[in-house]
Amino acid sequence: MSPKLVESGRHPNIKIIANAEVESIQGEAGNFKVTVLKRPRYVNEEVCNACGSCVEYCPEIMKDYYNENLVEQKSLHIPYPQAVPASYVIDPISCLFVQKNECRQCEQACKELKAIDLNQAEEHLEIEVGSVILSPGLDEFNARRKKDYGYGEYPNVITSIEFERILSASGPFEGQITRPSDSVHPKKIAFLQCVGSRDQSTNPYCSSVCCTYAIKEAIVAKEHEPDLDISIFYMDIRTHGKNFERFYERAKNEFGIKFIRSRLADVERSQSTEDLILNYVTDDGKHHKDEFNLLVVSVGLEPSKTAGSLAKTMGVKLNEEGFCQTHEFSPTSTTKEGVFVAGAFQSPKDIPESVVQASGSVSLAAGFLSDVRGTLVEEKELVPEIDVEGQEPRIGVFVCHCGINVAGVADVTKLKESAEKLDNVVYADESVYACSKDSQEKIKQLIEEHKLNRIVLAACTPRTHEPLFQDTIREAGLNKCLFEMANIRDQCTWVHAHEKDAATQKADDLLRMGVAKARKLVPLKEEIIQVDPKALVIGGGFAGMTAALSLANQGFECYLVEKEKELGGNLRHIKFTLNQNDSQKLLDETIERVEKNSLIKVHTQTQVKDVSGYIGNFVTAFSSEEEETKITHGVIIVATGGHEYEPTEYLHGKHGDVITQQKLGEKLASGELESSKFKDVVMIQCVGSRTEERPYCSRICCSVAIKNALKIKAQHAKSNIYILCRDIRTYGFIEKYYRSAREEGIIFIRYDLENKPNVSEENGELQVSVFESIVGEQLVIKPSLLALSSAIIPNYNKDIAQLLKIPVNEDGFFQEAHVKLRPVDFSTDGIYVCGLAHSPKNIEESLSQANAAAARAAIPLSRGHVAAEPIVSSVDTDKCFGCGICEYLCPYSSIKVVETESGEKAQTITASCKGCGICASKCPRQAISMGRFTDEHILLQINAYMEGLKNA
Amino acid sequence: MSFEPKILGILCNWCAYAGGDLAGVSRIQYPPNMRSVRVMCTGRVDPVFLIEAFAKGCDGIWVGG
Amino acid sequence: MSDSKKIGAVMVVGGGITGMQASLDLAELGYLVYLVENSPAIGGTMSQLDKTFPTLDCAM
Ligand SMILES: Cc1cc2nc3c(=O)[nH]c(=O)nc-3n(C[C@H](O)[C@H](O)[C@H](O)COP(=O)(O)OP(=O)(O)OC[C@H]3O[C@@H](n4cnc5c(N)ncnc54)[C@H](O)[C@@H]3O)c2cc1C
Ligand code: SF4
Ligand code: SF4
Repeated sequence: MSPKLVESGRHPNIKIIANAEVESIQGEAGNFKVTVLKRPRYVNEEVCNACGSCVEYCPEIMKDYYNENLVEQKSLHIPYPQAVPASYVIDPISCLFVQKNECRQCEQACKELKAIDLNQAEEHLEIEVGSVILSPGLDEFNARRKKDYGYGEYPNVITSIEFERILSASGPFEGQITRPSDSVHPKKIAFLQCVGSRDQSTNPYCSSVCCTYAIKEAIVAKEHEPDLDISIFYMDIRTHGKNFERFYERAKNEFGIKFIRSRLADVERSQSTEDLILNYVTDDGKHHKDEFNLLVVSVGLEPSKTAGSLAKTMGVKLNEEGFCQTHEFSPTSTTKEGVFVAGAFQSPKDIPESVVQASGSVSLAAGFLSDVRGTLVEEKELVPEIDVEGQEPRIGVFVCHCGINVAGVADVTKLKESAEKLDNVVYADESVYACSKDSQEKIKQLIEEHKLNRIVLAACTPRTHEPLFQDTIREAGLNKCLFEMANIRDQCTWVHAHEKDAATQKADDLLRMGVAKARKLVPLKEEIIQVDPKALVIGGGFAGMTAALSLANQGFECYLVEKEKELGGNLRHIKFTLNQNDSQKLLDETIERVEKNSLIKVHTQTQVKDVSGYIGNFVTAFSSEEEETKITHGVIIVATGGHEYEPTEYLHGKHGDVITQQKLGEKLASGELESSKFKDVVMIQCVGSRTEERPYCSRICCSVAIKNALKIKAQHAKSNIYILCRDIRTYGFIEKYYRSAREEGIIFIRYDLENKPNVSEENGELQVSVFESIVGEQLVIKPSLLALSSAIIPNYNKDIAQLLKIPVNEDGFFQEAHVKLRPVDFSTDGIYVCGLAHSPKNIEESLSQANAAAARAAIPLSRGHVAAEPIVSSVDTDKCFGCGICEYLCPYSSIKVVETESGEKAQTITASCKGCGICASKCPRQAISMGRFTDEHILLQINAYMEGLKNA
Repeated sequence: MSFEPKILGILCNWCAYAGGDLAGVSRIQYPPNMRSVRVMCTGRVDPVFLIEAFAKGCDGIWVGG
Repeated sequence: MSDSKKIGAVMVVGGGITGMQASLDLAELGYLVYLVENSPAIGGTMSQLDKTFPTLDCAM
């Protein structure tokens, strides 16, 4: 997540207003006036550079809220080490100055920088915006509300979020698993699921994430201490997300975590040992008692505490569960025009889904404001670059004190003096805070004054600060690549705080290594690649159509290619939804909008034949029976969908009364089945899912079964319905339908993989037998209809995967670049994924994801160009003999052998090269060099280090 | 005087180098024997780098990625 | 309402992973973003997590 934090903090188009809340909103969609109250921080966040020198002077302490109040911190604190804004803050409740006008110690501590500003007052900012996205997220359920579990009363009952902090190496106990009562390492831990979820007395909905996070926490705990004995007490394990089922299986099989389906009677506390005694009843009706050293309650997700008042201020409605009200077919729209929603405030969800929905909401906001895109942001005008070609290196060295962070450990003056003696160093200086605004100005002046043409900075880490200084030297006319950093804080003084001499020696070596590299730095050009502002969407199902519409709304032309005769894909078979919304109307309207949209070119009965090129410049050939078409476009969205598995088990295909849920849904809508068929209906869950052959959960079949069962009950009240299931996975708000199903008398019978139901036929009559654990007997039903909840499998993805060179996972679904950080992107730039092609999901989820893919794809399209960072590979064509090893090894398909005048030669595709350098290290001719990280650079650094050894 | 090994680290920007920074943020103390070179990916490491370092007197190399 | 009055800026309220992603996408698309966060720092719940499922990579 750090990259997103840093990027958000640094992006010129993002203004972060932290410690603030919305006070009021006026105006209308497109033109809102929002007042924001910014509370005083008492630290000027523009000036503070988070050196932390002030903290020890602050005498007051408070609870460390970031660490779930498990430990204390100073009143003057930084919320967490990587916080953005990277600035300290003073808690007004505990600060002596704010409360009693005393102290002011911190001001003294920061008298150089003057970042402490105790005179700050509340500010009311008036801000004009065209649209608003609400993402206030979640709060954990307050476990004190469930008295039976003893949280807040028994010391060794903790919440899952507290346990999360305890597990963390940067947490309150440095990653040691200890329990609160005696700080002893527990040996036996229990997790209790659904605390504050699926519970009429607190929250009726399922929180969706707690099963999987409990499994995660259990696995991480086992990784810390393999001998731990861990049990998870649950009603259903809901691991319905992509790849989550495998995670669950690993927990059981690899880590030996015990899963106990049970109802908990109560928790007692042992007075002598502070252990906890769990009384529970298992499926077979047996009572058990077991003792644990630590109990973790898996608390559910609630909307953020401030969400209610925020909704009121914004004038948007909440649903009955207190989350933002949305519609199944417009999950990111609130009840107020121009105000959108995403994340855990819309419904309980995990990170991948939150990120997807965030991009999804952006596509709506951007569609709405597309005519004013780019009107309030400007690209910086830059002075022309100084030509340093042929110049002798004139290196300027700056050694940063970082307050006392560096200077308190290493001898910075010595460092400066030794730098001055190095060849080509014409100027060296110290700076208390090199990153402060005035230091930046000074660096620019010095570049001019001393005609410096390479800069080396010994300070913190290039990972966070390099871009800042690169911008600075660029403003002085130096190419960004003429800059090098020596990390003498994060990887030196911070980690060798008690060895001053050794730290100084190390810093000196690192600085000398940096200077050695700097001598050979050359200016590199940021290559700009033009983007053809058109998109190709492969797959004309609901996701593909939605993505195309979203792009068209944002003003981009797109080609929508569908291999069937009609648009609509799977949605054509879905006649109604669980919420009783009309999915056929949705389908018809969507098709109509697509067909009427002049920016969307629909090609049905068409297959993609060939794709070449890269982000910005793809060339694709597709063909239908009539014609062969070749198009150029800048991006690709893959929405090839999936379909229902055709079961071979349970007499499907052999007996006419055995049908899949999708068929049942269609028949229920058409009314073609006579009522006698509904007398005794059996449904079998997980057909083709969660098996050895297909070890994933298809996510939606539990809700589809309940949808159909409820429909049958509505049409034939007398019908007996039995659902044979393993876990019922009605996550989120869908849980309420599971409840209604039970209230309607639908019977749920559990089976497990070892005891699968058996279906047979006798004289044309179906017979299902299943082991019923409560009575402990084999139960026999003679159903009039048997519906199979069969798996969702991806459509012919392998062909597309090969054409586009994009990966599929073990289950045949496309594999995104990063599950959480880039959930709809492929690692190859310019290609995106959505819908069933990515993983099983329902209409609402496909819609969000399709919009998300469109928002991501619109980024290069709207910019009109992509810039390739100058770290990419470049090929010396004299040396290259076209062997193609690089092409074979490149993980991003970013280097290719092409025919040139002088024979076959490798060529970098700058647009998508990530600069990893795998090609360079494996090239037998050493023909490839990496911008800013050449072999020569690395060898010079190594030699500079080793030379130091000789002199020492 | 005890033997102090001279160690070279060649660290991937995205993981091991980032980990090095995190150790700093968390103030985890460790012996000051290593000097690191940042690369964009350890796939980039050419055996020549290692040979060169050993030849020049390096006692150990950590390729972290 | 005439389009000329529309404003090319968006406010995002809440700076957890959702708010950050929304802000970054909007900013990259060419809109000015005001990211309003209630607490002193953005990051939200995810910043408190140790590792994340199902890949178990570090939340930070
Ligand atoms: C114990 C636990 C473990 C979890 N583990 C995982 C996991 O391993 N993997 C996974 O995918 N998911 C996990 N989750 C779920 C994950 O935390 C959420 O999916 C995700 O954090 C939701 O992000 P968000 O941005 O929507 O909300 P949040 O992260 O809650 O962010 C909301 C932000 O908005 C701010 N805010 C709130 N109200 C206002 C307001 N009125 N004005 C301005 N700002 C406001 C908050 O301060 C906060 O910064 C876990 C959840 C819990 C509780
Ligand atoms: S069933 Fe739902 S509410 Fe219960 S623990 Fe699992 S995910 Fe959470
Ligand atoms: S029926 Fe479907 S959704 Fe339910 S658990 Fe089985 S595979 Fe998952």
